[in-house]
Amino acid sequence: MALDAVFRDQWGRVLANLIGILGDIELAEDATAEAFAVAAERWPRDGEPVNPIGWLITTARNRAIDQLRRRQVLAAKTRLLARDLEAMAQPPEALMDEAATIPDERLELIFTCCHPALALEAQVALTLRTLGGLSTDEIALAFLVPFETTSKRLTRAKHKIRDAGIPFAVPPDHQLPDRLAAVLAVVYLIFNQGWGGGRVDLAAEAIHLGRALADLMPDEPEVLALLALMLLHDSRKAARLRDGQIVPLDDQDRTLWDTRQIDEGRALLQRAMTRQRTGPYLVQAAIADLHLYEPRDWRQIAALYETLARQTGSPVVEMNRAIAVAEIDGPEAGLAILDRLDLDHYRYFHSTRADLLRRAGRHSEAHHAYRRALDLAQTEPEQRFLQDRLAEIAATAAMRICDSAETADRGCHRQPGE
Amino acid sequence: MQYALLTYAPAENTDRAARPIPGAIAALLDRPDVTGWARLHADASATTLRNDDGRMLLTDGPFIDSKEYLAGLFLIEAGNLDGALALAGELLQETRPGTAIEVRPILEGRFRGA
Repeated sequence: MALDAVFRDQWGRVLANLIGILGDIELAEDATAEAFAVAAERWPRDGEPVNPIGWLITTARNRAIDQLRRRQVLAAKTRLLARDLEAMAQPPEALMDEAATIPDERLELIFTCCHPALALEAQVALTLRTLGGLSTDEIALAFLVPFETTSKRLTRAKHKIRDAGIPFAVPPDHQLPDRLAAVLAVVYLIFNQGWGGGRVDLAAEAIHLGRALADLMPDEPEVLALLALMLLHDSRKAARLRDGQIVPLDDQDRTLWDTRQIDEGRALLQRAMTRQRTGPYLVQAAIADLHLYEPRDWRQIAALYETLARQTGSPVVEMNRAIAVAEIDGPEAGLAILDRLDLDHYRYFHSTRADLLRRAGRHSEAHHAYRRALDLAQTEPEQRFLQDRLAEIAATAAMRICDSAETADRGCHRQPGE
Repeated sequence: MQYALLTYAPAENTDRAARPIPGAIAALLDRPDVTGWARLHADASATTLRNDDGRMLLTDGPFIDSKEYLAGLFLIEAGNLDGALALAGELLQETRPGTAIEVRPILEGRFRGA
């Protein structure tokens, strides 16, 4: 439906513009929702206006004025605001021809939503609500959090922004690197949630946000690199599951990879690399790119993971380096790196370790590691994948016993899966 | 906007009242955007009154029992939270390790000259 497309693209822009005018997210949100509701009723009947966004902003602005008038019993401050607004109130037609002059304030909005004075969960929920246009229901569902909790979290965040005076502004240069890192972390977290579940398409939401950021900050290499990274990962989405089973990269049907996303990701990566600055997303995007070539250049991948580990100090990065090192120097070399890491709570640590143990022929240790990974697995495809691996090593172990036994033990006649 | 910066300091051995305000902090207190401040006696001097269903309960000591105690508060004027955090950050640099500053927007109030 055409209106859905407009809604998706314009919700964030209209809302950001209204917040810029009103300085109150809740009021802006209500007014924006009303404007979209009016559009849903009128546009199919009367036709889409020449400048949809100008129409939506003007309508929302007028709705906000109405709302403020209804609240006139409130403080004098509010009446003052209402008077200011009245001066700005224009018939929708007035904005029709001004498309080029409508400022895009989504960047201000995302920096507000991802302000470090807000809890991370609140930053994520608020970004999806305000810029992504997701409903509270959809956000709750996507993160498997009760509706009530999500709703309270959003309300509390909006109130804190208002009461504590969290600015609606792009941070000054000296703060920009830190604050931009916070924004990118939120977008990437949304993307990674999308990989695990596949309920609401969070990966698509994150890419949508990444595109908006790349439009708004075309000279920031990390912004371009994050979008490249997400596209390169997402390009393999269709090949990643087969009949509900996780398919490892080497076994994936490459014809299912989305070449348009790969091309776009690679072009962005090139653009980011010309900027002379390396950040963690640039390195990760370069690694994601290397993973798409056959055969894979494990030495270069391992070297990039080393760079990334230095930049981030993250044990998860070290874990990934261990996988690359295992490809070059064998599973024991990878296991030696894993043994130094404190990642017991991390499910992929145990599945990675199990895999290397299996390849090193240490089957009983592999069995324990797979079991531990299974305990921590969060999605059904993950659980099925791990159960299959467990059955595989049980079968291998059984065969080994049979091979080496002088007389066949009764247990050896059992086939896996019986 | 107006903000209150509540400064929580780790316990100390020396007598707080006998020490002067460190020079760097004294300089910050004279800034025009610092509209008021109060340095508090150590938490051992605190008395807490509690409304227990209409009955006033009196206890010796601070309300919050923690390793850090409320050492003082600053009332400041700032354009937004980032401005308040920047000033709080400057103050924090002059404090002892382990000190924390809670930044709270002021809803309303009246501050007379000390």
